[in-house]
Amino acid sequence: MPANTPKVSPVLQALIDKGLLDSLPRSFAAFCFDQMKDWDLLFPAERSYFERLFGLLDRSSGPVVERLFQPLRELEPKMGMNEKNWPRGQFTLEQVDFLNRNPYYPEWRAAVAQVFSQLDPVLDADAARNGHARLVIVIAPAQLPADPGRMWTRFQGRGKRVEIDAPERAEEFLPLLLTGEEQGRRAPTIAHLFASGKKGGAYASWIVEAGAGVSRLGPEAGAVVKYSYQSLGQYRKRLMKEVQSVVDAQEIAGPRQLSARLRQMKILASEGDLAHDPILAEFARAILLSGNGTLLINNTFVEWAMVQAVRRARPSVAIVGFGIRNKVKPFSSLLIYADQDASNPIPSQMDTLGSYVDLEVFYQYVWQEFEKYAEYRNNTAYLFVGDGMEEMLAIAPADFPLMTAAGPVKLPAVFGHLKDWLSI
Amino acid sequence: MMRLTKRRFVQLAGLSIANRILPGPLMAQERVKGRSNKVIVVTFGGGVRYSETFAPEGLQNIPRLVALREKGYFFQSCINSGVLSHFNSTASILTGNWQRVDDFGFQAPAGPTLFEYYRKQSGAGPLDAWAVATNKSFASMGWSSDRSFGQPYGANVVLPKQLLLEAVQEVVTRGTAGGVANRDDVLRRLEGVLSEGYEGIGWTIFQAGRKLDRQVRETLVRGLVEYINGPEAPTSGDELTFFIAREIMREFAPRLILVNFWDMDVAHWGSYSLYLNAITRTDRLTGMLWEEIQTNQSYKDKTTLLVLPELGRDGDKNAANGFLNHRSGDASCRNTWLLAMGTAVPPGQTERPVHHVDVAATAAELLGVKAAGLAGKPMPELLL
Repeated sequence: MPANTPKVSPVLQALIDKGLLDSLPRSFAAFCFDQMKDWDLLFPAERSYFERLFGLLDRSSGPVVERLFQPLRELEPKMGMNEKNWPRGQFTLEQVDFLNRNPYYPEWRAAVAQVFSQLDPVLDADAARNGHARLVIVIAPAQLPADPGRMWTRFQGRGKRVEIDAPERAEEFLPLLLTGEEQGRRAPTIAHLFASGKKGGAYASWIVEAGAGVSRLGPEAGAVVKYSYQSLGQYRKRLMKEVQSVVDAQEIAGPRQLSARLRQMKILASEGDLAHDPILAEFARAILLSGNGTLLINNTFVEWAMVQAVRRARPSVAIVGFGIRNKVKPFSSLLIYADQDASNPIPSQMDTLGSYVDLEVFYQYVWQEFEKYAEYRNNTAYLFVGDGMEEMLAIAPADFPLMTAAGPVKLPAVFGHLKDWLSI
Repeated sequence: MMRLTKRRFVQLAGLSIANRILPGPLMAQERVKGRSNKVIVVTFGGGVRYSETFAPEGLQNIPRLVALREKGYFFQSCINSGVLSHFNSTASILTGNWQRVDDFGFQAPAGPTLFEYYRKQSGAGPLDAWAVATNKSFASMGWSSDRSFGQPYGANVVLPKQLLLEAVQEVVTRGTAGGVANRDDVLRRLEGVLSEGYEGIGWTIFQAGRKLDRQVRETLVRGLVEYINGPEAPTSGDELTFFIAREIMREFAPRLILVNFWDMDVAHWGSYSLYLNAITRTDRLTGMLWEEIQTNQSYKDKTTLLVLPELGRDGDKNAANGFLNHRSGDASCRNTWLLAMGTAVPPGQTERPVHHVDVAATAAELLGVKAAGLAGKPMPELLL
């Protein structure tokens, strides 16, 4: 067992002590070690996954496990893996680079995929047995220049367009949908209600949005996880400034050192409530510094944060609020870490058409990501909503009430259906 | 004001004018009789998927290439079987062997580039082979680490966008009125950076080539002026790449050029619309490059243009994050296309798969150069 064995749960520690990881192929074990090394910063769903994964391997007979990993075990020496370039328990950028540049990389990927193709069905069946109804609401901003017929075009055929009786006061559209009440009542959102219910708890309900309007609905206290691009503005600007100064100073020898430096750039308490929860604070840092374009483009932040939340936290209720991104100013592509408003006095302008094109892809990516996991398949209702729009798209199992709704549905009635669906 | 040494200039400003201290011909020489007098390789750097280009739903993004396809030879399947990083992909195109060097460009290509084969065998001068690219790591793209070739036979490498970056950052740092919206100020800084860096290089490595220095510098400045004062706001690094490449063609008429466009790598930002806009812009600039070939007497009727994506990008259904990345190794990442244009190129197309490494082998044949030990094979369709 390597000296840098991560601190994990007692269940997992017992398996590690039995030498389970040591018996696995070098690259597989190293990757797992790396994923588990910050155990305290993992979401409960991630911890559960590793416990189930290694529990399954432990329960399986020796010859079965041997057969499972045989192709990978045979491939590793051919790739030149050894104790020197793949020390036990280490999976850094150097190992990633080793894989990427290795002529056998495609075969390695195939061998790893083969392993999971045999493990996943068993783990998925376990997840499905413990499944429950889930809800995902994806909101498009009101300024999009498109009618319902031109929304969600990539997968519209998978669901049903539901006619909505929209309120006269446009600003009440989202409050009525998400709380069943006008915003002045400060009623809890569907996310709040689920989080405080018997299947809820920490990290079960998420709001991820470009603006801050959805996050402001409902009570301030509660177990709802909230990530807002707008609300993280102070943190984002500090990160941009710090990254730029690191780059300018040229103190960093290479990507590995840069990665280590970026890990230190944590959110401060003055920059958001997320700082009080180490898991959520680290998630915010990772989203902003390892996601493509998440510092720069509001909708990229929303998409990547949600995709990562699904992969890692498996929320039961998710409200995803996209926005309108600004037009790109001259030279913006060169000034990745500069404050665009300061570098160019031309006023920022909304790019509504560009945002429409961007979001058509992101709706699909978000929906696909949920559907990759057994927890969501066949028991999740997806509502794709345009703020103020008179139709929404519902993709859901046949027993989701809105799938059989006729005529325009009032938003409080939609909210009622959502509560019923989640058994709140 | 920042002092630019040669090392800093090459690393940061990204301009490397190779081998100008060598004796020999200064202007383009044409000692080797090849099938095609000149070869220009254009890469859609950063990577682009079939689905946004030559797939039926992508044709609207590339109207110029679609029109050119009728006149050229189209390889429906050009496969990148190598490492799916930018440097290794382009290095594979240029060397004819799959490159697996350091991803961040700290290593030069491991085997001789087409530039080196061409210059060593033909005796062509240093101004006869150019690479106009964008990414800073491409400063190492002009020549390989092979000791029997290397820098003495390498290409000039110009990274216009890195010059722009230096200038724009300087404008921002100084906080002048108008910021980067002030085109005159940006242009002054561009020229300033070019002068500081170039003079520094000149003093360091030139024994007798000062005049040549000035010629190169003036050529590059002309490209900068056209770019900054163009009819549209100068937002695109690729437009600058185009103007610089065109000036190099007009001034030096090199026989071998790599033009590596890059704007579409904005896909990493996660904006599909910006990615599509960049593709369409690169399509337009490639069309303009072909027009330059058709109107420039040094190139007309004696040039083969090879256009191909450096790599693809991840498919929409991939486990990564779709068009944002190019790390999955799926078909969307590896399967691209290649369009060949030229007087000697017969119109047509084929389903026969070719590979990125075949480009160097084919270009070598076109230039009349013998390149040994290449994994790539010449494309007979272009060697009639």
